[in-house]
Amino acid sequence: MNGHTLTCENLTIGYESALGEPVTFTVPPGSVLAVVGPSGCGKSTLLSTIAGVIPARSGRVLIDGVDVTQMPTHARKVAMVFQEPLLFPTMTVRDNVAYGPRRSGASASEARSTADELLSWVDLAGLGDRNIDQLSGGQAQRVSLARALASDPAVVCLDEPFSALDAPLRSRLAADVLALVRRTGIPAVHVTHDPDEAETMTLNNSSGSILSL
Amino acid sequence: MKRIPAVLGTGCLTSVLVLAACSSGASDTEPEAASTADLAGQTVQLLTHDSFALSDDVIADFEASTGVTLELVSGGDAGSMVAGAILAAGAPTADVIFGVDNTLVTRALDADVFEAYTSTEAQALRPELAERSFDGRVTPIDFGDVCINIDDTWFAAEGIAPPTTLDDLADPQYRDLLVVQDPGTSSPGLAFALSTVSRYGDGWVDYWQRLRENGVKVAGSWSDAYYGDFTFGGGGDRPIVVSYATSPPAEIVYAEGEPPEVPSTSVMTDGCYRQVEYAGILAGTNQPEAATLVIDWLLSPGVQADIPLNMFVFPARDGTALPEVFERFAPQVPDAEELSSEYIADNIDEILSEWGAVMGR
Amino acid sequence: MTAPTWLRWAWIAPAGFLLAFMVVPLVSLAGQVLSPGTIEYVSDSLPWRVAGLATVQALASTAVSLVVGLPMANVLTRYRFPGRRWALALATVPFVLPTVVVALAFRSLVGSDLGSGFLIVVLAHAYLNMAVVVRIVGARWSTIDPRLDIAARTLGASRWTAFRTVTLPALGPAIASAAAIVFVFSFTSLGIVLLLGDSNTRTLESLVLRQTSILLNFQAAAVSAAIQAIVVGSVLWWAARTRNAIPRGALRTFRLRRPLGSARWAVGIVVAATVVIVLAPVSSLVWSSVRSSSGFTMSWWAIFAGFETIDAGSTRIGSPLSAMARSLSFALVTGLVAATVGGLAAMSVLAHRLGRAFALATALPLGISAATLGLATMLAYGRPPVDLRATGLLIPIAHALIAVPLVVAVATPTLRSTDARLVTVAATLGARPSRAWWTGYGPTLRTVMIAAGGLACAVSLGEFGAASFLARADGPTVPLVIARLLGRPGEASFGAAAAMAVVLVVMTTTLVAAVDRGGRRS
Repeated sequence: MNGHTLTCENLTIGYESALGEPVTFTVPPGSVLAVVGPSGCGKSTLLSTIAGVIPARSGRVLIDGVDVTQMPTHARKVAMVFQEPLLFPTMTVRDNVAYGPRRSGASASEARSTADELLSWVDLAGLGDRNIDQLSGGQAQRVSLARALASDPAVVCLDEPFSALDAPLRSRLAADVLALVRRTGIPAVHVTHDPDEAETMTLNNSSGSILSL
Repeated sequence: MKRIPAVLGTGCLTSVLVLAACSSGASDTEPEAASTADLAGQTVQLLTHDSFALSDDVIADFEASTGVTLELVSGGDAGSMVAGAILAAGAPTADVIFGVDNTLVTRALDADVFEAYTSTEAQALRPELAERSFDGRVTPIDFGDVCINIDDTWFAAEGIAPPTTLDDLADPQYRDLLVVQDPGTSSPGLAFALSTVSRYGDGWVDYWQRLRENGVKVAGSWSDAYYGDFTFGGGGDRPIVVSYATSPPAEIVYAEGEPPEVPSTSVMTDGCYRQVEYAGILAGTNQPEAATLVIDWLLSPGVQADIPLNMFVFPARDGTALPEVFERFAPQVPDAEELSSEYIADNIDEILSEWGAVMGR
Repeated sequence: MTAPTWLRWAWIAPAGFLLAFMVVPLVSLAGQVLSPGTIEYVSDSLPWRVAGLATVQALASTAVSLVVGLPMANVLTRYRFPGRRWALALATVPFVLPTVVVALAFRSLVGSDLGSGFLIVVLAHAYLNMAVVVRIVGARWSTIDPRLDIAARTLGASRWTAFRTVTLPALGPAIASAAAIVFVFSFTSLGIVLLLGDSNTRTLESLVLRQTSILLNFQAAAVSAAIQAIVVGSVLWWAARTRNAIPRGALRTFRLRRPLGSARWAVGIVVAATVVIVLAPVSSLVWSSVRSSSGFTMSWWAIFAGFETIDAGSTRIGSPLSAMARSLSFALVTGLVAATVGGLAAMSVLAHRLGRAFALATALPLGISAATLGLATMLAYGRPPVDLRATGLLIPIAHALIAVPLVVAVATPTLRSTDARLVTVAATLGARPSRAWWTGYGPTLRTVMIAAGGLACAVSLGEFGAASFLARADGPTVPLVIARLLGRPGEASFGAAAAMAVVLVVMTTTLVAAVDRGGRRS
């Protein structure tokens, strides 16, 4: 297991004005940082800054000790899962999951087998040829998760990924994510407005912690 | 004021309609000049082209003196209007048509667009026009000439004598100075091309070859040439343009602020092409009597005197006093070129394609 | 789809409209003109050669329109910045300018070296039609979740790759739609080709005009018109097929984003380019409206001083103010009729198995020249036994026919991508079919109809060809007044025409901006 580490040093976020105080934290391999706080306090902005979608106002983002603060999004290997699945509407389920591997240079058949592997991991084996509008909400969100992990990320950012789902599904997916994080050693940053969810995600995890914004 | 005759008129309306029905049954009967009292309260429609213009006063005069309401109907440009009239022949979209020119009149006559009528006013026409009524089916209303226009100011500044004949235009001295319009898209452009056919006969193609070698420029429309390329109109670089014999007076009438004493452009009287505009009653009208009133009115001294400053053409009625700017600056060309409309109908296709071939367009 | 019953019959209204005001007039005109001898004109090489030239020209015009229009669509319909609405309205302005005016403005701008020929015709067409790309592609683009692009980038796609692999396929059908329309407009262009073209830059439309109004050879004209209709029909059929490929997904209109980082530069550059591209020809018009042979003047603007006719009451060219009022009321009626007819047509396209054929039928007016349509309408409804001229509806009807294909083109892709599941959801919550349908489609429909209606108004404001046949001579629209002024000698005529053209630009910009504002609010 090759773990990865995410570190933020004195990171200030926000577009026009800084949102909150500078934050410093490290997410070690295989652990989850849960970010909680009221809406509008910059939870999602923090994720976007880690992913490089939004530039940092000050401070640094390091992945495995390498400063990625100025690196463009696509080179950082920070995968994101959003509240909605945000699947690519013009592609089949399989092509959605294979998207990441294709971008990192995998051949079509390699990407295809990676995609099928991950689809069976999220219990959706056999749905690869479907169009995305033929999926239920829970299925779509699991495809989204598979798609993020298929890209072989160094960090996973989860932006309230379960909030649109019902309770049983939510806890099942949470367990899946935790298992995966632990297995692969990918550090995860999990944003939620639900303190219970934050606790679940961190307590079940030896090195989990909670950051309140 | 008009109320009373209008009310009186409705009483007579029924009998007039019966008359109308009888007369349209007998197709070779010319409509009689109507007595106006019978027609009060009716509406008569006059189909015209885009360039039609008359003073509101003369239209009001017509309505006041006849009790008939005059409604103007637009038919697009002159060619489109004639095309529409031909397609509607026998069941017209209006009662009277104005603005069929000598280039197209034969085609309209062949399609039986007109109902014959000879106005008593037609006796007052200029003699050379009076004979052009095509068996009384149409009535000449005005005429004008398409002529080469010269920017005198430019020539004076350059110290060159301006050209005076068609042949001069092919002289290397006037290289790159002339702009004409495409005869396939522009009515004055076509008129100028026809004038060269009339002048040079079979040699007209050679003449255009010489013009081309001498750097003639071709514009798509009159406004494009006059306002775009002509040195006077729009800061172009061509001091010689195909335009109208009446463009110099128009320059004064439509000048900005204080009009100049003398226009800075003038007309080259050689190689002008004569255009005559006709009016006629549209066959199949259900207002033949009211229609005759419109023809009479178009020939009346009042309308004829109003024509020059509105449409910038010459009135067809003999002895009509011209405005001073016309007298002074618009030459009446005695020997303008002209081709018979039969000849044009038979040859226009070939003329246009040969022109296109020689000009590379 | 759970369609309410009335929707299944909604196609009758647009079909009846097209039948009455397009099919009947054109068929009766064709019946009058055609004869067994007409077939001989088919073997004439001229119309085929012209069709080939027009195809090359239209392809080039379409390519340039896309290159210019796509960045504008992206910036103007997806980012939030001060003046966005005005910039969007400005980008729409060229589309509605009368071609006479554009041709003249273009020539004075570009200079006489480029004065005529292929290049300037292509540039003028791109100028006129970039709004089609902005409007149609923009309507679709604003329904694409901007986070899809972010998702792609976090999966390792560069900005360009993300655009190419995610955004572009989603835009594909809208781009095809817009390209088809631009192609058709350029292929059937008349005014620009007459004024700026040369022998190798012609269209069948210009050939038809020459054959009708100079040669008076109606049979040859009918053959040229038929070839044009066939080409246009084929292109539109292709576009309709492509449009069908739009996935039905949970797409909605997304909030405008604030531009960040490098996007600020992109927004700045595109907005600046839009302003320069649109205003350069317009400013040459403004310049012409205040210039005379003796220098600066305001006298051409004096025509607007009151309800007086131009030239102080001496002619029938008409009062500029009443022409403006007339144009505006025609435009509003056109917008209403076109949005209703086009909206019902777009819904029927979705609700029917024969929808695609129907979509194609509603697009047919695009292939018919405005002048032919005007002439046919005049012959069918401008004389007894059916004389509608006195109702004042002939011009709005003809303009609505011209605008309906645009309304359908704007509305269909967006409606198709609206989530049909919402209808089912509403129905399961106990809503009656109509109510459920409205819950699903209503919000999108309202936004799209307002935008499409605004476009139809704008088309009507600038339309010339059909109006020239249908206007009363003493009741001209603004473009007709401009054309009449341009056809007269004297610099006052030209100055007044330029002033009127400037006013038309302002009217259009204001109208389109107002409609956009209404659309956003709802």
